[in-house]
Amino acid sequence: MKNPSTRLVHVLIGKSIVETLVVGALAVFTFITVLPPFFHGWSEVTETGISGWAVNNASPWERVEVQLFVDGKFVGDAIADQARPDVSTAGWAKDAWHGYTFPINSMPRGVHEARIYALHDSGGGMRKSLQLLGKPILFSVDASGKIWPGPS
Amino acid sequence: MAGPVLASIRIMSSEIKNREITADAETGRDFAIWEILSVVSSGLLMEWVVLSFAGRSKLVGGIPVVLALGFMLYSHYDRGETLREIGFRTDNFLAACRLLLLPTALVVLLVIAVAWLTSHSILIAPWRNRFLILPLWALFQQYVLNGFINRRAQLALGKGLKSVVLVAIIFSLFHFPNPLLALLTFVGGLIWAAAYQRQPNLFALALSHALSSLILALAISPKLLEGLRVGFKYFG
Repeated sequence: MKNPSTRLVHVLIGKSIVETLVVGALAVFTFITVLPPFFHGWSEVTETGISGWAVNNASPWERVEVQLFVDGKFVGDAIADQARPDVSTAGWAKDAWHGYTFPINSMPRGVHEARIYALHDSGGGMRKSLQLLGKPILFSVDASGKIWPGPS
Repeated sequence: MAGPVLASIRIMSSEIKNREITADAETGRDFAIWEILSVVSSGLLMEWVVLSFAGRSKLVGGIPVVLALGFMLYSHYDRGETLREIGFRTDNFLAACRLLLLPTALVVLLVIAVAWLTSHSILIAPWRNRFLILPLWALFQQYVLNGFINRRAQLALGKGLKSVVLVAIIFSLFHFPNPLLALLTFVGGLIWAAAYQRQPNLFALALSHALSSLILALAISPKLLEGLRVGFKYFG
């Protein structure tokens, strides 16, 4: 068997470069498909629970499915289809129907952290991803079960 | 006066040539390892990265396979290897079959015994039409494993135990994280790599491979074999 020529070395390096480019392109494509940067939203603590709005800028008329996690545990999901005229007035959405509310009751006393995620399907429903909307919200529950914004 | 000078020049040039030959041989051995790594990384990329990213897209999933296959074919051409040297030949088919007969028969009997002990039946899984392409699939796998990787492993480590074990480890690695398949392919890899080093015949290896795979797929519960899934698909 002959020793390898310089050309074979070049072919091997070329193959490695092409594979790296393919994997890089796939990673970018997957990121954009699975975690598209089009979801916007906000949430806040109200007297009864957590309310907010969610919009998919890539599909502004779509009603986004949102999920609430408190202290890292799934609490519930909802469709953001309630009236929020302030969101469309501020230019965040094409219409006013992007609001949601998660009532919070029977939560133990103390400080908790809530996170609202937009649920996104890709790959014909094969993959589901969660994207955090806004920032995690801290809220406290007092002895009477009433909730308050912030840690205390 | 000129005589001793010419003689010493001749000795020096001969030493330089010898050093070049030694360096060439070392480069050839080192490069063989790079060739193995390149082909193995393509296979693992396909199993673990591309299939998980590209999902059902066979076109994208096939890119690393096409690249690896193209590289292997060019490597054979560049090193001046013939089809006969690689193992696509018939003259030693019977000799290779004789070598493989006993270990293949043992594997088949062992699988049948395990099937009988675990389920009191020999054929558990249903026949699938895809089993018809098993001989071709086995021939392709044996070509990659022995026609390329084993030959390069022999270049790098020499004939014998080291290169045989390396081939078996690589074959097993392609079947991770499926524990039973990884173990079985390690054993199969040892047998086939050792047989190839004595009688390089890919058709005989493919026959043994296809027969063992068929018996395994028909006799062992798909649950135990985790549906023969490997790589990222194992989890899905």
